[in-house]
Amino acid sequence: MVDISTAPQSPPIPTDGPWAVRTRRFGEVSKQVLRNPTTVAGLVIIVLLLAVAFLAPLLTTPNVPDPYQMPRDWGTRDAPPGTPGHLLGTTSTGGDVLYGVLWGARTSLQLSVIVVSITVTVGVIVGSLAGFIGGRLDEILMRIVDVFLSIPELIFALAIAAVLGPSFTNIIFALSVVFWVKYARIIRGQIIHIKQNDYVDAARVTGDSKFRIYLKDVLPNSITPVMVQATLDMGGIVLTAATLSFIGLAQAGLAEWGVLVSDGQAGISAGKWWASTFPGMMVFLWALAFNLVGDGLRDVLDPRTEGR
Amino acid sequence: MQIREYILRRLMILPLIVVGTSIIVFSLSRVGGNPIAIYLEHEMTPAEVAEIEERYGLNEPLPVQYLAWAGGVLTGDMGWSAVSAQPVTEALFSRIGATLEMAIFAAIVAITLGIGLGTFGGARRDRLPDHLTRIFSISGASMPIFWFAILLLILFWVNLGWFSTGRSSPEIFASIAHPTGLYTVDALLAGNLGAFLNAIRFLTLPAITLGFGATAIIARMMRSSLVEELNEDYVDAARAKGLPERLVLRRHARRNALIPTVTVIGLGFGFLLQGTVVVEIIFRWPGIGRWMADAVLRGDQATIMAYVLFTSILFLSVNLIVDVMYAYLDRRVVLGG
Repeated sequence: MVDISTAPQSPPIPTDGPWAVRTRRFGEVSKQVLRNPTTVAGLVIIVLLLAVAFLAPLLTTPNVPDPYQMPRDWGTRDAPPGTPGHLLGTTSTGGDVLYGVLWGARTSLQLSVIVVSITVTVGVIVGSLAGFIGGRLDEILMRIVDVFLSIPELIFALAIAAVLGPSFTNIIFALSVVFWVKYARIIRGQIIHIKQNDYVDAARVTGDSKFRIYLKDVLPNSITPVMVQATLDMGGIVLTAATLSFIGLAQAGLAEWGVLVSDGQAGISAGKWWASTFPGMMVFLWALAFNLVGDGLRDVLDPRTEGR
Repeated sequence: MQIREYILRRLMILPLIVVGTSIIVFSLSRVGGNPIAIYLEHEMTPAEVAEIEERYGLNEPLPVQYLAWAGGVLTGDMGWSAVSAQPVTEALFSRIGATLEMAIFAAIVAITLGIGLGTFGGARRDRLPDHLTRIFSISGASMPIFWFAILLLILFWVNLGWFSTGRSSPEIFASIAHPTGLYTVDALLAGNLGAFLNAIRFLTLPAITLGFGATAIIARMMRSSLVEELNEDYVDAARAKGLPERLVLRRHARRNALIPTVTVIGLGFGFLLQGTVVVEIIFRWPGIGRWMADAVLRGDQATIMAYVLFTSILFLSVNLIVDVMYAYLDRRVVLGG
C-alpha cells in the first residue's frame, strides 16, 4: 500500500499548508455528505451490519472447531422461524439460520476488506505507472486492461473460481483478479488530468524528484474517485461473492449468505421460505448500504460523473 | 478524428483484444491442473495415458497447444462438452436460442421501464417521484438477482400459482417445430396463439428478474441526463415561446437525454449476460447460462472455455456497436481511443 506518511525523503507529517487544507476539506465534505438523508440511511445500515459482524461471537455460541462452519442440529430440521432456540428457523440440514445470518456478516466483512485492499493497491500501482510514466508502457498496460474488461465481471470470476475448485479462498482470489482493472483505469485518467496542472509544473521547476511529485502532488489529488469506487465495491464484491457461492463455488456448510440461500432454495416449493429469505435480505442490505453511501460520496466529491 | 477513422481504429483493435481474451481463457484451462484428467479412467496403463496425451496434443509446448486450440475455435471445433455429452459447438447452438429469447424480453423490459422511470423522476427533480426513482435504481444495483428470483417464485409460483419454472408446457409445445429456437416466434410461425401465450407466460418471471438490474442502470442514467438537459438554454427558449411543459419534455429534452443513455445500454447488456447464469439455474431454463453453471460444478473445461470466449465476443461486439451509435448520435463527442 502506498503510504504518504512513510514516503522516502519526505517529512513524516508535514505541519503546514496542504494538511490543514485537507483536514478542513474533509470537514466540509463530511458535512455535505451528512446532509443527504439516503446517505445517512446507508451509514446507519453499515454501522448496524458492522456491529453484527463484530458481535457475532457474543450473540451466538461459536461453533467448534471452526466458527465459520454452520453448526448442525440434526434433530431440528426445517424448523420455522420462532422455534425456541432457532429464532429465524433452521435449514433442511438443521443449520440455524440466525447463526448463518450473523456469522455471514463476519465472512462478508473479511471478504470485502481483503478484496478491496488487494484490488485498490494493484489498481493504483498499475494505473499510476500507466498514467504517470505514459508512453509505450501506458499503451501496453491499457491494452491489458482492455482485455480484462472484455469479459463480464461475474463470468470471469466464475470461470477462475471454477478452474481452481470450490473454496472461499478461491472466490477471494478470483474477485481480486477481476476487480483491480477499474481502479487502474480510474487512477490513470485522473493522473493524466492532474499532471497538466500548474502546481505540478511548479514542483518540477523547484527540482523535486519525479517520485516525490507523484506522492506529494499527483496521487493525493487523484485518489478521490478511487475512494468512491472502493465504497461501491465494498457492496459489489459481497454481492458477486454471494452469487458465486450460490452457484456452488464455496465449500458446503460455510456460514455465508449465498451458500444459505442456495441451501434454502430447494425448500421453497414446499413453503419453507425462511432459509433463503433472511440471508438473501442480508446480501441486499449490505450492497444497498454501501451503494447509498458511495452514491452520496460521488454526488459531493465528483458531481460530474454522477449517474455513470 | 472522423467517425469513419474512429470505427476503423476500433475494428482494428477488436481482433487484438479478442486474441488477448482467448489467451486468458486458454490460460485459465491450464491453471486448474492438467486437462487430461477428464479423459482418464481407472486402471489405465501409462502407455494408454501417453496415447491420450499424444492424441490431444497435451505433450506439446503450451504455445503450440494454444495455437491448436485457437485453430480449432476458428474452424468451429471447440472440443467435447462433457456435461451435455455432445460437441461443444453443437451444444452451444442448441441452447443459445433459449438464452437469447430470455435476454431479448429482459432487454425490452429494461429499456421501456428504465427510460420511463428515468423520465418520470428526472422531470420531477428533488420531489417524491425523483426520490422514489433513485431508491428504485440503487435497489436494482444492490439486488442479489438469485434472491429476487426466489422472492418472485415464492410469491407468484408457490403462493399464487400464476407462473411456473421451465420454458413451456410440454403438452402444448409437443406438436410445434422449432425452426428458430425462439419459442414465441416458433409458436407464431406455427400459427398457434395458445402456444405463443404459453411461451410468454413462462418468459414473464425470468425476463423481469433478469431485466431488473439493467432497468435500474438505464433509469438512473436517463434521470441524470434529463435533469442536465432541462437546465439547457434551448429548454428555456422552448418554454419562452409558450410550448406546454409536456411538449418541451417530449419533443426537446427527452430526445437529447436519450443520447447519453445509449452508452449505458452496453453496460446493461453485460448485466443481462451474466445474470442469465443465475436466472437459468433458478427458473430451470435450458439455455447456455445453466449449461455454464453445470460445467462449472463439474469442472468441464471445454464448455467453460467456449462459454467465456463466446460471451466476451458478444459483449465486445455490443459495446462496439453502442460506441459507434453514440458517436453518430452525438457529434460533439470527442473521439478518442
